[in-house]
This record gives sequence, structure tokens and C-alpha cells, in this order.
Amino acid sequence: MKSFETFTELVLHRTADLPSKDAFIFLHDNASGSDAERLTYATLDQEAKRVASWLQQRGASGGQVLLLYPSGLDFIKAFTACLYAGSVAVPAPLPGDQGNHFSRVTGILQDAEVRAVLTDSVNEPTISGWLRDAGITHIPVLATDLPGEGDASAWSEPRLTPESLAFLQYTSGSTSAPKGVMVSHRNLLANELAIQHQIHGHQDTRLGGWLPFYHDMGLIGHILQPLFLGGSSALMSPISFLKRPLRWLQMITEYQVTAGGGPNFGYDLCVKRVTDQQLATLDLSSWEQAANGAEPIRAETVRAFTERFAPAGFRAEAFFPCYGMAETTLLVSGTPHGQAPIYRTVDAQALEQGALAEVAETGARTLVSSGVVHPTDFTVKIVDTDSFREQPEGHVGEIWVKGDSVASGYWKRPEVNEEIFNAKLRVGEGAEETVDAGWLRTGDLGVLEAGQLYVTGRLKEMILINGRNIYPHDVERQVQSLDPAFGIGGGAAFSVDAGEEHLVLVQEIRPNAPAAADLPALLASARSLISREFQVNASVVLARPGTVRKTTSGKIQRTLMRKLLLEGAVTAEHQHLEQLVADQIATQAPAAQPQPAPVG
Amino acid sequence: MTDTTTTVTTSSAQQHTAESLSVWLVDRIAVYLKRSSDQIDATVPLAEYGLDSVAALSLCGDIEEDFDLVLEPTVAWDYPTIEALAAHILEELSTQAGAA
Repeated sequence: MKSFETFTELVLHRTADLPSKDAFIFLHDNASGSDAERLTYATLDQEAKRVASWLQQRGASGGQVLLLYPSGLDFIKAFTACLYAGSVAVPAPLPGDQGNHFSRVTGILQDAEVRAVLTDSVNEPTISGWLRDAGITHIPVLATDLPGEGDASAWSEPRLTPESLAFLQYTSGSTSAPKGVMVSHRNLLANELAIQHQIHGHQDTRLGGWLPFYHDMGLIGHILQPLFLGGSSALMSPISFLKRPLRWLQMITEYQVTAGGGPNFGYDLCVKRVTDQQLATLDLSSWEQAANGAEPIRAETVRAFTERFAPAGFRAEAFFPCYGMAETTLLVSGTPHGQAPIYRTVDAQALEQGALAEVAETGARTLVSSGVVHPTDFTVKIVDTDSFREQPEGHVGEIWVKGDSVASGYWKRPEVNEEIFNAKLRVGEGAEETVDAGWLRTGDLGVLEAGQLYVTGRLKEMILINGRNIYPHDVERQVQSLDPAFGIGGGAAFSVDAGEEHLVLVQEIRPNAPAAADLPALLASARSLISREFQVNASVVLARPGTVRKTTSGKIQRTLMRKLLLEGAVTAEHQHLEQLVADQIATQAPAAQPQPAPVG
Repeated sequence: MTDTTTTVTTSSAQQHTAESLSVWLVDRIAVYLKRSSDQIDATVPLAEYGLDSVAALSLCGDIEEDFDLVLEPTVAWDYPTIEALAAHILEELSTQAGAA
């Protein structure tokens, strides 16, 4: 395979090489079926050059360009236009889409210092209006689906190096402090190669999926991997999938998708919602890598999906549990090609204390391996977070990663980058001790055994529900802004693992505030807000001041609050607990203590 | 506001009223919220029951399939109670029947 210095060079080569080939097929949803829209490599090239010339004329070459699109081919053309213009693409969720607000996009727009906004003609008026209202007048907005602007023949190839940034990935960081991962052309090429190693990709590989295009797995996996391979991809929107999970499996059947996937909950949804009659119409035998990543992988889901869809030709060895994150561009590890996922049933209590052990008398927990690390792509170490020394095999620690795919850091966050992207591993003893620097701290807990990587938990307090990252601080702050009765800084949001992650908020109530007289109304307003703003179902516990524990420096101890809640040690003034959470409290709380009864 | 006594007959010759639609919605929503039907009040905002994005879109898909309507994905948030949703569906069905 020819080697390329930049991803731009690679795409130019592919589009010249495969002009008439369909690069992308996008399925538009309607009530009775799907309409397919196709994009060839040649059209992608022409459209990208036209929009790139517009960007170059406006001095956006070398600068950041915000992409605000619904799922669809226009996004792909605009992203490629940024590559062609030598601009740094900043994909972001379209405001108004699934609980995303202009405030979040404004945060990204300002943090990233964008020089232009690209969107489509449907959304352009709203976006221009939003910018005007926010007093932002210096940033041009282009609806790229209107053919009039830009001129492909005026485009000139940019001068880029492997260290030039390809895009900023804003998947991490709370609403109040968005963080953009700086992905360079070197990082991107390295990770696309790592993905190719894992999935054995080639020009006949057809990727496919329903993930949002601004999501790292949707972008790097389903859109850029096909370009890297000279392959193709079949795509649909997350809304199409969530409305009817069957459509995803129909797409795999009809377009003979070979690789692609999504978070665990998507597979769960298929198991729950596809009927026997529908199953009989599916043929999933083309699927060689059904990627399961971006949230914890559940053994029950992997087993249930494999069993349920075996009659439709789905093979156990097609499941591709994998691990990765935006900070490593995307993929770190994956299940080797042609091998079924590996399960490891261990003692739950020993695991909590940090070791893999055979099941004793207490409960068992079945882990699914996230596969193996390809040695030329990454080095992975499991590190003790107190001593910063490597853990022996079979012991839990933080997952540390090194390799060409690891980004150089977050945009404009030098202090955080020093801590997260330049972690220092201690090696050797006594006078021999040295420091091995330049490691990425993933914030995830895991264990290596016989070359398999098992992700066992999380150090970071981020909550992952239905494939989306929710930051505890955002939930606490929004609820506290509802009414003065909710004490500012007196809340702790965390997740409880109840077969899937479930959001819990423990919130202090100021007894003297007028609204505190009606706790049921306060409870309802908090749950409504969380449902509307974050679109998740939450358990809410209203408690007396002083309930939420803090460190001496005032940091909220969310992990401790989860432990106290599950031990039955949090006294509620009023609460709504989902049954699954109430059941966990009932199992874990010492029998002698009074247990909070579920309400509502 | 749609009159609750309105009856709409769709192409499948099924007759729908606000009441029959409410009953249908309560059954679907109870499944998504993992509750029993008698715990769902048609006048209480669905957000208060902890409706999440997956449930809201699943419901939207079900309505489209069963009534052959195309709805905005935000429909469960735009018409936040079962009562409001039922009235909206009825109105959409009458528009469709009128256009046919």
C-alpha cells in the first residue's frame, strides 16, 4: 500500500483512483422504508473542492471550521472540504438535535476559535440567527448544499505536514468547559491503519452504521475508514435507528455491510425490539465485524444478540468488542479477526479489590474482553494510580496508552495536557529508578491477562448512558438553577450499574426556602428537567443540608456518595428511586439499617 | 384543540378517537417506562416519568408504523402529555384522511 504524509493526500489519491465507485450510501428514513442516496468518489472530490475553494477565499485555510449538519452526505462533503482546504474541521451536534442547545455549540465555537461555519440550507437561517443573537458577526456561514458558492477550479492543494491538525473532536468535557481533542494527520493515518489491522479491511470492505457523524466512532470508523481503504459505507441517522432498530439490520442485509457497529445499548435494543417475523427477513451473514464499543460491553447483551440473530446468519466470531476513545483518535484494541469474544467470569468482590480471581462464595461478574492490542500500533500498560508503577498481569489499574494514534492533547489546555497526555510511569527500583514519560491516562480501569484487555470500570466521573457522555457537574448545575430550594454545590450526580448505567442525583434541599414546603413538586421538577435536558431517566434523592460529602477543598465526592447510597446510608427527605436502584440498595445495605423505601 | 369526540377513520378502516389513542399510548409508554398501565396518568408530563431519548424515539417509530404517519422526532417533547399526544395524532390523522 502506498504511504501518505497526510489524510488529505490520501483522499485526493483515492478520489482520483476510484472515480465512479460509490463511496457512501445514505438511507433517508420514511414511514414505509428507506430511500438511498449515493455519493461517488468523483462527486465527493468535486463538491469538496468547490467548498474548499470558498474556505480558502475566506482565509479559513489553517483555521478551524465548525460543521453543523444533520446526518447525511452533506456532512461528508463538508468534512472532506476542510481536509482539502487545509482547514481544521470541528464537527459538532446540530443545536436542537436530541437535547443539544445553542449554549453547548456556542461554547465549542468560542473555544475552537472557528473562522467559518458550514451547514445546510435547511439549518442555515436558524444558525445565522443564533450567531446574530449571540453578537457574533465576523464568522461567515455557508449552506454547502446550494451550488452557487465556491468554484472547484479555483481550489489549490494546501501545504500540510503530518503534524498539521486534521480536526478537533469535542466529545469530552462538560457543557461549561468543552474540550477538543487535537487530532493530527499523523494521528488519523495511524489510527485508520490500526483499524485496518484489526478488521482486515480492503477495497471491498463495506462499513456501515447509524452513529452520529460528530461522534468519534461514527466519524473515524464509519466515514474515514472507508476513505482510507478505498472501500464504501452505508449510513443512516441515529434517529432512524432509534425509531426502528430493525432498519439498521435491514441496511446490513440489503447493502451487505461487512464491518461497523455502535455502543452496547444498540445491540440490546435490537434484541428487545426486533420480532420473530422481522428476524425471518434478515440476512446478517455478510457481517464480519460487529463493533461493540464506546460504552461498557455487557456479556448478557453479547450472548443474547448472538443467540437471537444466529438464525439470520449472525456468527459468534463476527462480534467485535473493542476499546478506544477520542483521545487515541479512536480504536486501541479489538477482538482478533475470526475469533469469538472471550468471556472471563471472575469473583466480583476480588475484582472490586483489584484482582482477577476464580469465583469464590460471593457473586460472580462476567467480563467481556475488549480484545488485543496490535503491537505496532499501541503500547498499553496497566498502572497503579498511587505509585504510578505498572501492575502485574491480572491486576486492575488505570489503562495507559502510547502510540502514533494518541493525540497531542486538548486544544488550549496545556495544564490538563501535561497531566493527561504526558503521564510519567515509574520504572526500576532505588538508584536505578527512571521515569518513562509521554503516556496517555485514559481514566478507565482495566486489566491485562494473556494479552486480552478487560475494561473493568472508570476513574473519571463521566456517566455513559445510551452511548452518550453525561457530565455530573452539568446535571447538578442545571437542577440547582431551577429553584433556590436546591442548594448550590449541594448535589452529587453519579451512575449506578443496574444492568445498565442509571443516573442518580442526590440533592440537598434548603429547608427555609419557600419551595421546600412541597417536596413532591420539587422532585417532579428535577426529574422533568433531567428528562428534557439530558433525555435520560433519573433517580432523584432529596436530602437535608450536609448530606453530600465534600473533600476539604470542597470537591464533591461522587464516588463516595454512590457507595453511601448503595449501603443505605443516605437518608432521603423525599425520593424517586427506579426499581433497579432500589433493588441494589436492598441487596447491598446492611440488614440492620433502615432501608429507604422506593417512592413514586 | 381537537374535539375529544372526533372520530377519524383511516385507510385501514380503523376508527380512532382521542380515547382509543390514549389507551394505545398508555400501553406503549408503560412498556418503555417499565411500569404498569394503571401507573400512567394521561395528564402528567411524560418527562416526570423519566422519559428518555430512546423511549421517546421508539414511541415515535411505533406511532409511525401503526398509524402510517411521519412525525417529528421531537413529538414526545413537543406534546408532553398523553392527552396532548393523542390530540396531536388525531389531528394528523384527520388531515391525512382529508387529503386522501
